[in-house]
Amino acid sequence: MRSRWQRYQREALEKDMAPAAYATRARRRVIAGLAAFSVALLWVDAAVSWFLAPSDLAVTINFVLLAIMLVIYLPAVTLLNVASRGTAALPARMLDERQAAERLRAVATGHRITFGLIGLALAAVVAGTWGEGDTARIPAAAVFILLLAIWLTHLVMPLIIVGWRMPDPVPDEDDERDEHDDA
Amino acid sequence: MSSEEVFNRIAVLRAERGISRRDLATALGVHYQTVGYLERGEYSPSLYLALRIAEYFEVPVEVVFSLKPFPRLGSRS
Repeated sequence: MRSRWQRYQREALEKDMAPAAYATRARRRVIAGLAAFSVALLWVDAAVSWFLAPSDLAVTINFVLLAIMLVIYLPAVTLLNVASRGTAALPARMLDERQAAERLRAVATGHRITFGLIGLALAAVVAGTWGEGDTARIPAAAVFILLLAIWLTHLVMPLIIVGWRMPDPVPDEDDERDEHDDA
Repeated sequence: MSSEEVFNRIAVLRAERGISRRDLATALGVHYQTVGYLERGEYSPSLYLALRIAEYFEVPVEVVFSLKPFPRLGSRS
């Protein structure tokens, strides 16, 4: 069942989806930037929840930010996965040596970035509760959204890095032949 | 340009034998874009893949790969 899904996933990622959107390195970097921005919205959401939750205003801001985040995140991540042909998404056994090496590099870089962000989050929590001792309180909503932000950042960072670093793909010979035939 | 660049003649060998990028990729068990990146010199293969490419074309590995640029066809060097 799982391997069937993975095969389906691989085949789906070989089919271009809005290829013009990720045809050049500059465009792929814009998409990678949008994916990073959408994840950053979750970090902002966590900070907003810390200061405003529990309140109706916090709930409203949460939903608005989550909605904006999803509208940007889902297409950006889909396009990056298709552009990279699943380099960051497929199981390692379905990748060739170039893709596996690229993924390892992206995971290593992503790990360092996530490590830094978790350190910053820890510093922010310590600074925000400094001197409050046993009475220190953090709204549950802020904790939940912060954990969600960390989890999603950790998940998607390798994909963002793969999309950012990817050189322009080599045109498919079938496409080149079609262009010659049309000319 | 990387100082560790490895030059290759995969595109020439492939064209000479009328093999498509996809066919070569399938024979080697790699993604067809990997063959493209190899041909453009944007990816240097592992020793294992380099040997398999040479084996596929039935030539010694140094016919396909070199640390120095290959002379252009028709040049004297």
